Amino acid sequence: MLAPYLSVPSSITVALWELAADGELHPAMLSSLYRLVLGFVGGTAAGVLVGLAAGVIPVVRYFFDPLVAFLYSIPKIAFLPVFLLLFGLGHASKISIIAFSCFFPVFIASRHAVLAVNKLLIWCARNMGTPGPTLFFRVMVPAAAPQLFAGVRIGLAHAFVILFAAELIGSQGGLGTLIAEGEEAARFDLMFAGIVVFAMLGFASDRALMAIRRRVLRGQIIGTVEQVVR
Amino acid sequence: MITQALRRTGQWYSIPLLLLLWQFSVSSGLVESRLLPSLGRVWGALVANLDNGVLIYHTGITLSRAAAGFVLAGAIGIPFAMSMARSVTARNLFEPIFFFGYPIPKIALFPVFTYVFGIGSPSKIAFTFLECLYPIVVTSYLGFRGIPNRLIWTAQNMGTPPAATLWRVMLPAALPSIFAGLRVALPISIIVIVLTEMIGDSRGLGYYISVSGTRFEFQNVYAAMLVIGVCGFVLDRILLWLRRRMVHWEREPAA
Repeated sequence: MLAPYLSVPSSITVALWELAADGELHPAMLSSLYRLVLGFVGGTAAGVLVGLAAGVIPVVRYFFDPLVAFLYSIPKIAFLPVFLLLFGLGHASKISIIAFSCFFPVFIASRHAVLAVNKLLIWCARNMGTPGPTLFFRVMVPAAAPQLFAGVRIGLAHAFVILFAAELIGSQGGLGTLIAEGEEAARFDLMFAGIVVFAMLGFASDRALMAIRRRVLRGQIIGTVEQVVR
Repeated sequence: MITQALRRTGQWYSIPLLLLLWQFSVSSGLVESRLLPSLGRVWGALVANLDNGVLIYHTGITLSRAAAGFVLAGAIGIPFAMSMARSVTARNLFEPIFFFGYPIPKIALFPVFTYVFGIGSPSKIAFTFLECLYPIVVTSYLGFRGIPNRLIWTAQNMGTPPAATLWRVMLPAALPSIFAGLRVALPISIIVIVLTEMIGDSRGLGYYISVSGTRFEFQNVYAAMLVIGVCGFVLDRILLWLRRRMVHWEREPAA
């Protein structure tokens, strides 16, 4: 009935149990998560900092705008050969290419968010004699936060795509390698088990990000109909 | 006039600056020139590969696959979103699939797609279709749901038949959201095609990049990246132009 390369939930569960029991799943998950978290945090932090700076300081904006406009439409995975040659097959090449690809959506979102802050808010604060740093941290950053989170969420999605592709193309350890090994050994239940774990990881981290978002923006989303995909 | 021109060039100073820095660091021997070939060599590789048709061949394949997946996702996704917004049954049936599936990284399913659709174009097109479908359906669905009721009520009050309500009221009202979704999906289609070509194919720009990388012909890698960048930029402009034509009553959001 079923093609040999497809599998059913029951045998996937068995394979999942098998992987977990012989201790194969744990290190693969850990090394994938390690790469993802370091790359995502690094790229997001850089994107937020540079993006906020670009929103506030025109010189920074003029420097990054044309670069980002050109680089944004190139799939960042195309840089993988360069990163592999620079950093080798281990963790460093994955972390750096994930950070590199997270940077762009986060940068664009935070740059636009700062520029789109309601001028009335800034004028009011200035009128009441708010010093520069306070204006930035207490008015502009909170006002820009909702849009900023949208960019971070896109960055997270990019991070997972890049992580999987990078692990599949050239890597030691990690969930991508686990899936590729299951495929090569024609153990399709193992392959599906890896896919399920990868998907759950992506789902869980998106939910975690949304929970953080709700906590950070709790003052701003009261009484509004949230048009985000929950 | 002149000050304006000066300001314009002032806003674009980073690209020539970085190109100069690139050229300087290569010619002074600071960076290994095998990893970062000089600008002249990249340009030479670009011209040579465009001239002998290799790059054009691979670009044509990549673009046609991306376009097929993208158009298919739009043609199926938009009516799908509309039916989800209009019918409660369709909504209950499909909303969980799209809203729970949205954050799941679908790239992990690519090995399965290669088994089901084979290693050539069909698996790439099908996978691009799936990846583009989610942003298109979700964004246009929210757009259809966000139509103010009074628009529809007004139309019905004036005796508009259902089909006309759909075509003349609902579709135009949701068009800005539909275009927002298409604009999210367009770069995704190119990314996904190049990526899947890098993972396993013998044609297309992704294959060209990965094979040039393993052959240490990095001037070809950069030349191919340049082509992808130009293609992505041009396609985005085309979409924006289309949006201006079709949504003439509302200006596009910045960026």
